[in-house]
Amino acid sequence: MTESASSRFVFDPSANRSRPLWRRLIPQRWYAHLILTISVIVITFPMFYALLISTQSNPEVYNHKFTPGSRFFENLHTVMVQRNMGRFMLNSFVIALSIAVGKTVMSVLAGLGLVYFRYPGKWIVFGFVLVTLIMPGDVLLIALYRRVVSFDAWPHPYVALTLPLLASATGVFIFRQHFMTMPPDLSEAAQLDGASPLQFLFRVLIPLSWNTIGALMVIMFLFGWNQFLWPLILLRDQDLQVVQWGMQSLTQSLEVGDNFGPMMMGVIITSLPPMIVFLILQRQFMKGFALTRDK
Amino acid sequence: MFRRFVVILFVLTLALGTMVPALAQDVIELEAWVAFSDHRYDWAVDTADRFNALHDDINVTMLSVANYDTIVNNYTLGREDGAYPEIVQLFDAALQFAVDSNWFDFAEDIIAGRDEILGHPVDFDDIIPVISNYYTVDGVWASVAWNTSTPIMYYNVELLEQAGVMEMPRTWADILDACAALQPLVDDGTISACATWPFSPWFIEQWLAQQNEYMVNNENGRAGRATEFNLDTDAYRAIAEFYRELYSNGYFIYEGFDQWGPPTQSFTSGKVAIMMSSSAAARAISEGATATGFTLKTTGMAYNQDAPDGWVGNILGGATMYISNGLAPEVQDAAMAFLLFFSNTENSASWHTASGYVPVRNSSIELLKNLEPGNELLWDIPSGARVDIETNDWYAAFPNFLTASTQLGTSTVNNATRGSTYGTFQQSRPYYGGVVEEYMLNGGDLDAMIAETNAELTELLQEYNFLFADE
Amino acid sequence: MEEIAYSVHPAIVTLVGALLGAGYFAFLRWQTQAGGLNISLGVGALAGVIGATLLTAPLGYCMFQADQKSEDIIIGWIAVLLGLMLTLNLFSMLLWRYFRGQRLLPRGDTTPGAFRGRFGLLYAMTVLSPTILVLVFFVYLPMVDTLRFSTFLARFGAPRTRFICVSNFSRMLADLDYHSNLFLSFALSFGIIIIAMSLALLIASMLNQPIVGANIYRTLLIWPYAISPLVAGVIFSLLLGTESGIVNRVLDLTLGVKVPWLVTVPAAQISVVLASVWNVIGFNILFYTAGLQTIPKDLLESASIDGAGAWQRFARITFPLLSPFTFFLIVTNTIYAFFDTFSLIFVLTRGGPTESTFTAMYRVYVTGILSSDIGKSTAQSLILFLIVVGITIFQFRVGQRRVQYGNY
Repeated sequence: MTESASSRFVFDPSANRSRPLWRRLIPQRWYAHLILTISVIVITFPMFYALLISTQSNPEVYNHKFTPGSRFFENLHTVMVQRNMGRFMLNSFVIALSIAVGKTVMSVLAGLGLVYFRYPGKWIVFGFVLVTLIMPGDVLLIALYRRVVSFDAWPHPYVALTLPLLASATGVFIFRQHFMTMPPDLSEAAQLDGASPLQFLFRVLIPLSWNTIGALMVIMFLFGWNQFLWPLILLRDQDLQVVQWGMQSLTQSLEVGDNFGPMMMGVIITSLPPMIVFLILQRQFMKGFALTRDK
Repeated sequence: MFRRFVVILFVLTLALGTMVPALAQDVIELEAWVAFSDHRYDWAVDTADRFNALHDDINVTMLSVANYDTIVNNYTLGREDGAYPEIVQLFDAALQFAVDSNWFDFAEDIIAGRDEILGHPVDFDDIIPVISNYYTVDGVWASVAWNTSTPIMYYNVELLEQAGVMEMPRTWADILDACAALQPLVDDGTISACATWPFSPWFIEQWLAQQNEYMVNNENGRAGRATEFNLDTDAYRAIAEFYRELYSNGYFIYEGFDQWGPPTQSFTSGKVAIMMSSSAAARAISEGATATGFTLKTTGMAYNQDAPDGWVGNILGGATMYISNGLAPEVQDAAMAFLLFFSNTENSASWHTASGYVPVRNSSIELLKNLEPGNELLWDIPSGARVDIETNDWYAAFPNFLTASTQLGTSTVNNATRGSTYGTFQQSRPYYGGVVEEYMLNGGDLDAMIAETNAELTELLQEYNFLFADE
Repeated sequence: MEEIAYSVHPAIVTLVGALLGAGYFAFLRWQTQAGGLNISLGVGALAGVIGATLLTAPLGYCMFQADQKSEDIIIGWIAVLLGLMLTLNLFSMLLWRYFRGQRLLPRGDTTPGAFRGRFGLLYAMTVLSPTILVLVFFVYLPMVDTLRFSTFLARFGAPRTRFICVSNFSRMLADLDYHSNLFLSFALSFGIIIIAMSLALLIASMLNQPIVGANIYRTLLIWPYAISPLVAGVIFSLLLGTESGIVNRVLDLTLGVKVPWLVTVPAAQISVVLASVWNVIGFNILFYTAGLQTIPKDLLESASIDGAGAWQRFARITFPLLSPFTFFLIVTNTIYAFFDTFSLIFVLTRGGPTESTFTAMYRVYVTGILSSDIGKSTAQSLILFLIVVGITIFQFRVGQRRVQYGNY
């Protein structure tokens, strides 16, 4: 993380020396810090409030206690052990990772097919893919279920779960845009060297696309992580269920009274894996941009 | 020598290990789908395990299917591809669907007059009548009652007494009077308002039943298939007017349609004196009251003192267990035996302490009043564990739990309090709830709104009937 | 065979289509002054006939039968119009390509740097096939399966269905509630998109400054995006309850006011917009930060040397160069706002108070998934689908002109 920060932070001693002392005492670009601090406070307030509640008992929540409560470990136990969230998180991690990788691979290939070849009716293919972005997936679930179960040789329920989700209009759109901004001389040079399109993809395009791949992986991982209605309908084995299913079991107790502590503990815990994925891919993200700029 | 012995032993163990399960393969596997995934599911799993321990040849597996709506959808899909359970929990609003789908064998038909099934006695005599009658279709008991609740009133005794209200309100007029008396406390900022409760269509259904009125025609769909809505009644208007009066006087805090969390929170933190909620919330609310430090008292759901018949009775809410049709006789019997065990006196009592839902049997209430030491009935909700309360009268420790049982136990059984049954139950709720909401918040021409909604709901119902009713 | 009585005979419908088609092509011929008039008229009439038949004949012209209501006839004409829009555009494009002596199909857009060789199509189809196959089997086929129900009275689990022509659609035409649902979808989506995008751009520009701790800021700001809309609804209902919410608690302690966030009319709508913005803004920040990285620093520096102020640099260089990202975000945010917010609304307001946050997609959800009324729900989702297709095409038309695909 620091390397990207330092590469962009240009230390210029001469500029610093010419500034009066009072200006050196307040941080440079204080307005950016100000705006960002305010944004962070406003935007993360709900998350930190959730974090606070995750340590409290119901009566503490009811009385708006502003200090950390007494039930952090009990709530953690309820979520992870009693409600089996650890298992669900592992399941969702596998599913989300498969979806993210699968979607990215397929989108890169489709992007290649939509940009680096000449053939009539290309816009029809693109439109065909793009329109699916607008189809409300939740409405199609029952019909999708019938299609999926009509084939009964799925090696594992997760294959049936993830395969229908692997095509990504967003991904195709992003890679098409991205490849179109690539300088044309790259592929001209590759063709002069006699490279095949796939060689060009692996040797040139992908190394230049880590930024896009990183960003897309984050989105797609989250897409997989947030799957709820589809696994709810498809999966019958409880041990295979997903993290959003676990969340719903923490939030469902409508008439018998909510249990806010475990509920918010669930919110916080289940938001962490996507954030970790983001933090890991963030570096890739920055390195990729450095490459693009060096061209 | 020794080595050979070990090898022989190993081979023998292997052989036995493969043979014994083969010998015991006549186990009847039963799957049960329930709509809970929290501590209520834990109790169901525990009870299934205890049943399995009694029967070597039956194995009941509990599967949690998220919630009431999903369980209906998933079961319907399951019927298409053959992946459906032997036992399924369906909520009250799905009663007509359960009947119309022809997917279930009714409990009473399966029992067929027997006294016991696989050693589990059949005795439905001590089930609270208004409960057993809800699930009776054409004189036949359709399913086995499980989680059952009813709305009750919750009062903050100190606040009411501070305002000079010594008798807990019982009627709508009592509530309005109490609210008028509490107004000084609101004005000086001691409390936020007099009353709040979840604005739920379920309460409207309850109040119609209390006033001896039907939601749909053909006596709530109990005397024949319902074909028309029956909203154009004094009883329904009275409900809207009561809400309007509460709200426009500033007595009532409205926290949104069908929102259950916020009212509970306001009440348990002592900012509101009167609340109405499901009896199943009694435990959570008692805990909150203790933590905040006020005395909680419960009474039956407030009723309209001006209704011609006074208070007639309340309907239950909740869900029951159905048995899928087309099962082999021994499987069917195993499923029925499990449900008899599941709802017997001890387990109903245990379920009551674990969840707060009403015990469906009078004998369970008696049992909880006269506990034997060392019993394994009692549960504690927050920790989800069995507890050993040093008492022989459980209701002495939890007096507010008896209110709901009394309310249902003293209800007159007729086609109003048996509750309505029709196909578009769940779909219609936002409509008849919406009329009351609109009138409460904005006033307006109540008759016109009722007429319009009644026509819309009747049309939806007739569409359903067209698709489902026998031709 | 029994004679079917029509209030508008299919022959008339076809004739109207032919006339409209011929008229439109004559207009095009007059406008472009290219090609023969007779052939234009002929092809125009043919296109008109096909267009008028396309969506009406498969339903047996049922909406024009004598026993249908006037709304059904209007829906019938709308179907004719949609069919015409499709065929007239397609045929005119082909015909005028022919007039200009071009190949009937464009020879693929001339992306610079495309691979030469005869097997372009084959190669492209091979790399595209995984995506296309998955889309056909798991999106398009279920879509067709689902849409069949839009002309039926159908309920999930019902033993039978009933063909009711276009009643599901004509019912919506007359239903004022549905109109307000649609209008609300537009209004709320507009609010969500404007706020979420402008705030994200501001924040991303600040993040793009060479400041200490940018990584920490960025990570924290993206955090809410890791929350599903449903769970976002749960959190916001804890924040915004009138008596129970922490926001009002704080406002009450500091300013002595309580805002009925979720139960009065403009406030509930604002709350839904804000909760959605909160949920989606991390996504926008992520993309804008990525976008800002692609802007060449030397360009900004030279502008700075030329004396351009910060705002000028932003308006003249940064924002135009960001346009592909802006365009992409508008499309995805539109889809989020129209389709993905229903679960948030379900938890937060149940579409209330008095249906003031009842969006069109929320209605689809309530009718289809909660109430199993599949026929109506698919008809509603089809309408919504057509509307969002329309918006997207519009955005593309505007976008193509405005978006600068940085050829720096």
